Amino acid sequence: MKALSKNNTFNITLVALALIVIFFLSVPIIKIFLGVGSEKLLETIKDGEAIDSIILTMKVSAWAMIFVLFTGLPLAYILARYEFYGKSLVESLIDIPVMIPHTAAGIALLTTFGDTNIGEFFKIFGIEFIGTEYGIMIAMMFLSAPFLINSAKDGFRKVDVKLEKTARTLGASPMNVFFRITIPNAKKDIINGALMMWSRGLGEFGAVIILVYHPMTTPVLIFDRFNSYGLSYSAPLAAVIIGFSMFVFLIVRFVANRL
Amino acid sequence: MDYLKIKNLFSNNGDFALENINLDIQKNEYFVLLGQSGSGKTMLLETIAGLNECSGNIIFKGKDISLVATEKREIGFVYQDFALFPNLSVEENIRFSARYKKIEDAENLFADLIDFLKLDHLLGRDTQDLSGGEKQRVAIARAIFSRPKILLLDEPLSAIDPTFRNTIMKSLKDIHRRYDVITIHVTHNFREASYLADKIAIIIDGKIKQVGDAKDVLNHPANIEVAKFLGFKNIFPTIMLGYESSTKVYSVDPNIIRVSNNKQLQTDYIFEGVVDECMGIVDHYKLFVKVKQYQFFIKILKRDYEGCYADRENVIQIGFDKKDISFI
Repeated sequence: MKALSKNNTFNITLVALALIVIFFLSVPIIKIFLGVGSEKLLETIKDGEAIDSIILTMKVSAWAMIFVLFTGLPLAYILARYEFYGKSLVESLIDIPVMIPHTAAGIALLTTFGDTNIGEFFKIFGIEFIGTEYGIMIAMMFLSAPFLINSAKDGFRKVDVKLEKTARTLGASPMNVFFRITIPNAKKDIINGALMMWSRGLGEFGAVIILVYHPMTTPVLIFDRFNSYGLSYSAPLAAVIIGFSMFVFLIVRFVANRL
Repeated sequence: MDYLKIKNLFSNNGDFALENINLDIQKNEYFVLLGQSGSGKTMLLETIAGLNECSGNIIFKGKDISLVATEKREIGFVYQDFALFPNLSVEENIRFSARYKKIEDAENLFADLIDFLKLDHLLGRDTQDLSGGEKQRVAIARAIFSRPKILLLDEPLSAIDPTFRNTIMKSLKDIHRRYDVITIHVTHNFREASYLADKIAIIIDGKIKQVGDAKDVLNHPANIEVAKFLGFKNIFPTIMLGYESSTKVYSVDPNIIRVSNNKQLQTDYIFEGVVDECMGIVDHYKLFVKVKQYQFFIKILKRDYEGCYADRENVIQIGFDKKDISFI
């Protein structure tokens, strides 16, 4: 890759336009930390309600991600490897949650898992979705699973099918091949997808608030504090969740690059 | 008894089909499957390995293995691009099969392979850092370490630097003998085929067109299609030589045809023709001479025919002997 030359009108235009978007993406993040100040940040970290909501949000988003790892990876593999009738329909279905308004998704989930036959069915196993962590989990899952599934699908497509075929001739069963060859060689895309899903889950608000107001996830708590007490009460919490998310994100990326 | 017998094998992957494949391969035979790209060579190897659905029978030592799972077929497969597992080191690649099946006398076999294929210095390396030749040796070692009875090689020399090909061809022959396997080697290269093969099958459009001893197939094609594929030139009806059959054809090597512009030829067959084109190429000329409606292609050495004296539209004589003709 060559270095960007500075004495060329086209390159100068490129850099100027790129700087605008970099400014737009980075300044609000920097501003929230600078605006809040360290004292208020520390205060928020010590605030039990805030910390509980951060832990709840991170935990439930992680559970949603793990659930989709178990169910979405097989789906991603099927889509990457096989041709079948209705494949493009399935692919479109996976993408739908990304396109629809999140509150609309919340309503759709409520009409499916709320006071309905499906909701009653899950109650047999002690699983209720309204006002519980399960509700938060399905809201996060519904809206962020496409990130993991699509990324894993791309990763699986990049794994040469000849590697899998060769492994079979060497005595490995299809299951062994999947775990020993396919997943390790698609791991970068799977980890990236999982991280994207997890971080999108952290930020989920529209669908979560319709299914579950209490217990409060951090986005709901930020909204609640903003509504009740104004900006000065909600900004520190926003800064803390952004900080936590960035920290975990960087750690996982760092570890993943060394795998 | 045939060691490996393929009987009425059909396989279809939607875009392409193998049709009615019948092959008999004996113990320790080096079998070459010769065909152009897209002729179905790789698909046939994969079908033998159990990687494609098929109908028909694959009988190995008298037992039908066509429904046996790939991992139980005792087959070693080396792909054209070697398909080394990027997530494993060279040594882990070679030992891969030991995780899933019991390898008899594994440590001695491993040591022997490392020594024979000169892999000692590569064992700890990443597969991405290897040259084409090194990758090939690792892929062969990995396949042989699983103690296969049948070794399937898919264009194993195409990614190798031409200067090393002769050495590697010799090694492939040695591997075949040393590790006591049937080898089925797929290639589009006649030179490779003629050097390595005990037996050759010609595959065109998913169908086997001719099978037989290597020399026989390469020198006596069974039909025009095979002859053209094998690079036979000057294929014309025998009727032009005075034979009665109008359906039979013959071929004559462009290097053997003699040329004269002063009627001094002394060959069994002599024709008069008009030069269509004469092209000078490094040390020889390519002449295209029209005899009636047939265009002969002739190669003549520059040192024998100084200057391309046969200009376009000139009438010249061409001739060849009966012994130099291949009847098809």
